[in-house]
Amino acid sequence: MAQVLVVDDSSTVRNEVCGFLKDAGLSVIPALDGKDGLDKLRANPSIKLVVSDVNMPNMDGLTMAEKIRGELGNQAVNIIMLTTENSPSVKERGKAAGVKGWIVKPFNGAAVIATLKKLAG
Amino acid sequence: MKIRHRIASMVIMTLVAILAIGGYAITESRGNAQHVESVTDGVIPTTLASADLVSRAKDIQLNIMALVSAPDAEIASQLKEKLAAQKTAQAEALQRQLEAATDDTQRGLVIQAQESLENYFASIEDTAQLKLAGQAALAEANLFATVAEYQREFGQIIDTLRIEKDRSKDAAIAALRHSLSRTVGALSGVTAAALLLLSFAGGLLYRQVIRPIGHMQAEMSAIAANQDFTRRVPVTREDEIGQSITAFNSMIARIEESSAQLRQKTADIQSMLQNIPQGILTIASQGQVHHEYSAHLESILETRDIAGRNIMELIFANSNLGADSLAQVDAAVAACLGEDLMNFEFNQHLLVGEIEKKMPSGALKVLDISWSPITDGQDSIVRLMLCVRDVTELRKLAAETAEQKRELEIIGEILGVSQEKFHEFISGTLRFIDDSEQLVRQHPEQDAQAVAQLFRNLHTVKGNARTYALQHLTDVVHQAEQTYEALRQPRPEIAWDQQQLLAELAGVRRFVERYARINELSLGRKGPGRRGGVERYLMVDKTQIQETLQRLEAVNIANIHELVAARDAIHKTLRLLGTESIRETLAGILESLPGLAEELGKCAPRVVIEDHGTVIKNQLGATLKNAFMHLLRNALDHGIEGTEERVATGKDPVGLIRLELCVADGALRIRLADDGRGLALARIRERAQQAGFIEPGQTLSDEALAQQIFRPGFSTTQAVTTVSGRGVGMDAVQDFIRREGGQIEIRFTDEAVGADHRRFETLISLPEHFAESVGRKPETTRVAATEPTHTEMPADEPVPGIQPAA
Repeated sequence: MAQVLVVDDSSTVRNEVCGFLKDAGLSVIPALDGKDGLDKLRANPSIKLVVSDVNMPNMDGLTMAEKIRGELGNQAVNIIMLTTENSPSVKERGKAAGVKGWIVKPFNGAAVIATLKKLAG
Repeated sequence: MKIRHRIASMVIMTLVAILAIGGYAITESRGNAQHVESVTDGVIPTTLASADLVSRAKDIQLNIMALVSAPDAEIASQLKEKLAAQKTAQAEALQRQLEAATDDTQRGLVIQAQESLENYFASIEDTAQLKLAGQAALAEANLFATVAEYQREFGQIIDTLRIEKDRSKDAAIAALRHSLSRTVGALSGVTAAALLLLSFAGGLLYRQVIRPIGHMQAEMSAIAANQDFTRRVPVTREDEIGQSITAFNSMIARIEESSAQLRQKTADIQSMLQNIPQGILTIASQGQVHHEYSAHLESILETRDIAGRNIMELIFANSNLGADSLAQVDAAVAACLGEDLMNFEFNQHLLVGEIEKKMPSGALKVLDISWSPITDGQDSIVRLMLCVRDVTELRKLAAETAEQKRELEIIGEILGVSQEKFHEFISGTLRFIDDSEQLVRQHPEQDAQAVAQLFRNLHTVKGNARTYALQHLTDVVHQAEQTYEALRQPRPEIAWDQQQLLAELAGVRRFVERYARINELSLGRKGPGRRGGVERYLMVDKTQIQETLQRLEAVNIANIHELVAARDAIHKTLRLLGTESIRETLAGILESLPGLAEELGKCAPRVVIEDHGTVIKNQLGATLKNAFMHLLRNALDHGIEGTEERVATGKDPVGLIRLELCVADGALRIRLADDGRGLALARIRERAQQAGFIEPGQTLSDEALAQQIFRPGFSTTQAVTTVSGRGVGMDAVQDFIRREGGQIEIRFTDEAVGADHRRFETLISLPEHFAESVGRKPETTRVAATEPTHTEMPADEPVPGIQPAA
């Protein structure tokens, strides 16, 4: 089953996203922040999709994305950011870190699921 | 010839020229070298050797003289030996000269010299012998005689030889010099010719290759610089340049074609943007509005300041969107622009589709916004396109249609209940509401019993409404019932609020009254009614209402045309509610005419009714019934003659009464005529004089006389019959008509001015709102264009068509 790493410090959002992805038939690995996400991706390099919050304690989503590409050297994983606002600087950093998509909260499950399943492999 | 052939020919020509020049130079130099060799190795040494002959001859002379004068024999003999050696040397030198002789002259001279040398030395030998023999004087004499002779001869010969040799040498050197200069001349000539030829070929190459290439390059540069793709580079040749130009021209033609297409498309888009009745704009990075947008957008947004503005400010400022929604739209736009197409799918739901916006003019507009992404070849969103439509009218219309639909549904519901039962239901319900309001008023604080009673009241009302399938009312009452249901709970969720409860009950009351009003006004079912009497007043049946409602269900509320059509359809249905045909209105009177005719001893008249599709609001029914009871009875009693009289005057024994209706010039017009004897003007004059309405001898026009019949108490009949003649005739009719805002008049239809009887017609006009047209909108109804609807009455004689008054 295709695995998805869901990184969000808010348990409400995390549970919602995880539940929604599970319902869609995906296997979900939750992570509490960027650091945790990085560790879990290191442990499961076969993961093809990361859905992550941007603002998180310890390590934010963009830093995590940069480390995934840099430290882990993982260029294959698709990174999708969950966000509430999109400043040009954030987007620029995201683009440099190979962020593929931006889902503005509140997300519409029906609109995203088909693409997310495809990205999850 | 192709360029490569030209260049190849040029190279070959150059090579040939170089080889020719080289070959010629080699041949010439080889010949010249031989020539030089022959001069240096042959001519010059022998010339020098010929000079040696002369000098050696002088030595010999000196030696012979020394020998002759030698002091002793030893020296003489030594000198003799020396002379012998000199002779050998001279002989050898002559031999060499013979071998080197180049012509017969030289050869002859050498042979002469050889012979002379032999003679010379023979004389020297003789002289030496004499000296050695001591005959010094003889020797001396011999020397001066013989030797000197031979010596002179020999000297002359070798001198001649030397001169000849010198001449020969000079000739050889001159020949060599000539040969060398000829070679130089020839080589210079050949080189010059080659250079000339190559220059010519180069010139030709320049003219045929370099210049056309330069020309082509200039033309191409000009086309590229001006972007003038209508220009072509002329093709004057078939070589590579010609082919390149042809290829270039066809490329330019393709560019011209595609740029024409592009221009056309751009023009189409521009024209579309100018004319499309929609606001279209695109936004690029940072949410800025692109300077190309549709002209209509300016009228929607009521501003010309659009290009370059931020979308959030331009569209969403002063809108009904809260700060959070605005932030979401902003973030969603940013999430899409410059990103993969999937981001549009992800965030599309946040791009608001409809807003209410307060415009600079102060008007509140409802704007419908549809978003679509514009992508590049890599599926990356380069722009977002927005279609903005002003749907204010559409939404208003939809609301209006919804309201009408509701009304229609209510009508449908009411029609399902008989008039009597409905009346009972309404009065019962209003009693329950009265009771409930009173209960609420009596209890400023919550009271369990009161709440229970109120709940029961509303529950009963709801139950009754549901029983009669009055769905809309059921829903409204249900809301109120729920309030008391909530209050009934051991721990009520809401507080007892007298004012609010009264307001709620007032709302229920208003709704019930609305049902009652629709029942009375639209359906004309006031009061309890008669059993089975409902349908008589209804032009529109339940099926039609059902059909209209079904049609409404199918309406696309986004389409203004469909909405307008639906609204009009409902409007028509609603308008036709509570209308009836004049035949229905007058049915009772029409049915009574045969009986009346019998009473009067006349044949039952034919009544032809032409209503031109006009129906009457049933609130006018009573007025028309009252008026036409008089008018029709008058026609039958006063107008139509008895059977015998009619037969005697050649008329059909059956009288004809003709009634026409139409809507024209903003009024409902009714025209009544009969084929009787006409208006009895003579009798009217007589009666009017008797009643003192006119002075005796006073002359009045026929029209003024006719007007007398509208005076109160006026009657022309001699006896009061059961039919007419009671003097409550036309004045009453006029009163009925005037009370409804109408008019009645008499108009003559013949030319018999001053006659006792004149044909006439009665014209009634009433406000237009009393009439409706069946099957078409009232404003488009023209009588002349309407097929008359004949009420089925036997009519065997054609009746002239009514003309609209206008």
